[in-house]
Amino acid sequence: MWRIALAMLLGDKPKYLALVCGLAFAVLLISQQMAIFMGLLIRSTGPLQNVSQPDLWVADEAMRWISETRNLAETDLQRIKSVPGVAWAEPFFTGRANADLPNGSQRFVNIIGIDRTTMVGQPPLVTEGRLEDLRIEGAIMVEESARAKLDGVKIGDVLKLNDQRAVVIGFCRAKAGFDSPAVVYTTFKNAIKFQPLGRNKLPYVLVKVREGVSVAEVQRTINAIPEIKAFTWDEMNAITIKFILVETGIGINFGITVLLGLIVGLAVSGAIFYQFTMENSRSYAVLKAMGTKRWTLVGMVLLQATWVGLVGFGIGVGLTSLFTLQSRRPGVELAALFPWQLLVGSFVGMILCMSAGSILSLQRVLRLEPGVVFK
Amino acid sequence: MRLRGVTKSFGKGSLEVKALRGIDLDLSAGQLVMLVGPSGCGKTTLVSVISGVLNADVGEVSLFGIDWRSLREDAKTGRRADMVGFVFQQFNLLAPLSAWQNVAVPLMIRGVNQREAKARACDELAAMGLGDRVNSMPAQLSGGMQQRVAIARALVGSPRLLVCDEPTAALDAKTGQIVMDLIQRASRKVDDKGRGCCVIVVTHDNRVFQYADRIEEMEDGELKVKPAEFILKEATHAARQ
Repeated sequence: MWRIALAMLLGDKPKYLALVCGLAFAVLLISQQMAIFMGLLIRSTGPLQNVSQPDLWVADEAMRWISETRNLAETDLQRIKSVPGVAWAEPFFTGRANADLPNGSQRFVNIIGIDRTTMVGQPPLVTEGRLEDLRIEGAIMVEESARAKLDGVKIGDVLKLNDQRAVVIGFCRAKAGFDSPAVVYTTFKNAIKFQPLGRNKLPYVLVKVREGVSVAEVQRTINAIPEIKAFTWDEMNAITIKFILVETGIGINFGITVLLGLIVGLAVSGAIFYQFTMENSRSYAVLKAMGTKRWTLVGMVLLQATWVGLVGFGIGVGLTSLFTLQSRRPGVELAALFPWQLLVGSFVGMILCMSAGSILSLQRVLRLEPGVVFK
Repeated sequence: MRLRGVTKSFGKGSLEVKALRGIDLDLSAGQLVMLVGPSGCGKTTLVSVISGVLNADVGEVSLFGIDWRSLREDAKTGRRADMVGFVFQQFNLLAPLSAWQNVAVPLMIRGVNQREAKARACDELAAMGLGDRVNSMPAQLSGGMQQRVAIARALVGSPRLLVCDEPTAALDAKTGQIVMDLIQRASRKVDDKGRGCCVIVVTHDNRVFQYADRIEEMEDGELKVKPAEFILKEATHAARQ
């Protein structure tokens, strides 16, 4: 009977294709929008992901997310260094500057300033040039995906950052931030030269806790210092994501798109599947008259729904996967992340879409009078 | 097969239509009974009730000792699969299935495995003269061939009751004769256990009356009383049988 159910489904090619396309589109819309949303959320924590060495990030207590900083005083750095259990504490700079490019155009860049001695906060991967050359006065290392944004700069090219001379000494790979400007690495000393900060000069202090000492204990001690707060990596990650979700409205906007995808899926697949069942109602009536039991008919309808659901789901998530892979290519501005949880979520979306169609169709099939075969 | 005081109505109140009004009927295996009468007289309702597709409002309907009223819906459906074969005016073949797959459907409903179902379906098609068309799709077959496939489908499960609703209405005279020959042959057949098949043919087509062992005429939901010479003719036929 299952072969008959599939033959009925596959035999009506236009409807079958419309069903599969409708579901694939709904799943694509749901999964791709969610993937972009997840990608943007993860991208918002990009600067955090580039720095793995410290146990704690210390910032002004009013800091709301990683890219919005209120600077600490240099005396705070000394206080933090003197906290028992701190192995090292180094300044870390993140801020914006205006870059004048060789072709005369301008571009915003995100400057990351790392300690010139320990190089704590260094880029995860240097692709061209030497990291040590960053210690040269005015040296910058450009993140690979920023090459094109900075007019295809090469090693040795000279840019102006906030009207200060900057020399490209190499290239590296690092995660971009939420708004994805060109990222350049330099030393903390160079960074505050490119972007003078006034009296308070420290956006962040990165802290490593001595081995065998409780991170929580050190965190508590640092938090006792007025107006500063220490965050673990997970806490920084959480407050950054919370800020993006709550303050930007991005969650609601993507939520609406996902909901639209679900509604499109429900409406299109539900309507087409019901129509398919209506057009096959005579065949179902014949089967019913010939002695096919109710549960067999229910199974046949559910098999058809599951089949189109899985094919549509496969195509939808396949397209989202291609999109996600595309977004991972260097220099591509697309932000997409497709974890397994999203796969499960899209599957649930597909089940919801097909359930609507199945319920209507099942009602139709179960209420069908076999007597119609004589008409 | 025994029907006593069978009534069936559709609709309610002022819209109520009495399709069957106290039908009494006895049929036996090995008979080809034709049910004739004007449109709307209740022929189709009567065969629907006899075959368990519709429930009678009142009255007894028993088929080979089984009272339809005593069965739940699913049990009745199961009995229908085991005992009843259908031939419809519009053939009602499943378009996406080939000829042999259509014929095999009643066997698949009974849970017969596909290899055996295919073998039996192909044998039945061969018996209908369609041995070379087993893989043809319904759309590739003429009306007569489609009806022969439908008859093969109705007979493949060796039913004890074959219900044919206007089987020749959509066919030309010559093809109609071929189809009626096959239906008559089915009424003469006995299964492995020596049991015959009762065939009921609903028809308007007076060209096929000659195939009947017995003709029952309906009017306004009732069976008409037969003239004496008709009953005599039937008795003679039965004696010859």
